[in-house]
Amino acid sequence: MKGEKLRKMTLYQRKSSLIQNLKGNLRNEPYLIINIFFAGVILLVMAYSGFFSPEKDNYPVICLHEKLTGEPCISCGLSHSFSLIVRGRIDEAYTWNHYGMRIFLFFAAQLVIRVVFSIFYLRYPDTRRQLIIIDCIGSGLIFLISLWPFIGNIFSGALFRV
Amino acid sequence: MEDIKNNTGQNMGIAALITAIITFVIAVIPCVGLIAIIPGIIAIVLASVGLSQAASRNAPRGVLVAGLIIAIIASMISVSQVFIAGKIAQKADKWPGDIQNIINDVQDNVVKDLEDANISIKVESNGDKVEINTNSDKKDREKTLENLEGGKTQKNDTLPKKK
Repeated sequence: MKGEKLRKMTLYQRKSSLIQNLKGNLRNEPYLIINIFFAGVILLVMAYSGFFSPEKDNYPVICLHEKLTGEPCISCGLSHSFSLIVRGRIDEAYTWNHYGMRIFLFFAAQLVIRVVFSIFYLRYPDTRRQLIIIDCIGSGLIFLISLWPFIGNIFSGALFRV
Repeated sequence: MEDIKNNTGQNMGIAALITAIITFVIAVIPCVGLIAIIPGIIAIVLASVGLSQAASRNAPRGVLVAGLIIAIIASMISVSQVFIAGKIAQKADKWPGDIQNIINDVQDNVVKDLEDANISIKVESNGDKVEINTNSDKKDREKTLENLEGGKTQKNDTLPKKK
């Protein structure tokens, strides 16, 4: 009985020290703050996709490009596509926007990267600098690969070949 | 005291960097790319204020500079979306003309095909059948005309095309 109480005490102490440690780390580590913030933003994007349904078509975000030009743009139907992916209707998602899955995977990958890299950052303080460099390069590459059709669209527009 | 001195502008830098990265992602998506100019300006202001604070107290400026650069690039991308939209709108004005040209081409092709068509008309009334077969081949018609005129046809007897 006494042993169990002691074990519980040590567990509590460990937990509280871990929280205090984390608070201290957060105060001094901008990388962790950025990771937590981005993970939150990505979770908000997922929640947005889950909350608004393609059947009701009640999306608050409108395409400014279409409003200005009268022509649908390359990213039109992305909200529908995300909502359908969240609901597991992948085939339908492709019909709404061909690049929807690609961009959704970018956000999903970023969520995983934020969590995993934060854990590594806390566990292995000696490799923090290398971790940040790998994160910057890796995330940049994933961003380029995932959003290349949109980036290409900007460049084609800049060269007046729209 | 030393620690406080070194962290000057750091919070501004983090805020600027987060805003700048979000601006960058939004700016690339054409649907909402134009909106990105607002967080882009916010990020530039945050980074500039943070930089001035950090410069006055000799604090590290890495995060602030990164935030400022990303914010400027993101804002430029966002502004470029306006030009792309304008270019598409300009092209959209030309599209009705292009469609009209395609319709005219199709019309000309149909008329050209009909010139060489075989026409068959069948009329049936109260058990009586009348069938008229005619060949509208342009060459045949020219030959018939030559026979009728005794080989004295003008070389170019077609009307000039309407412009």
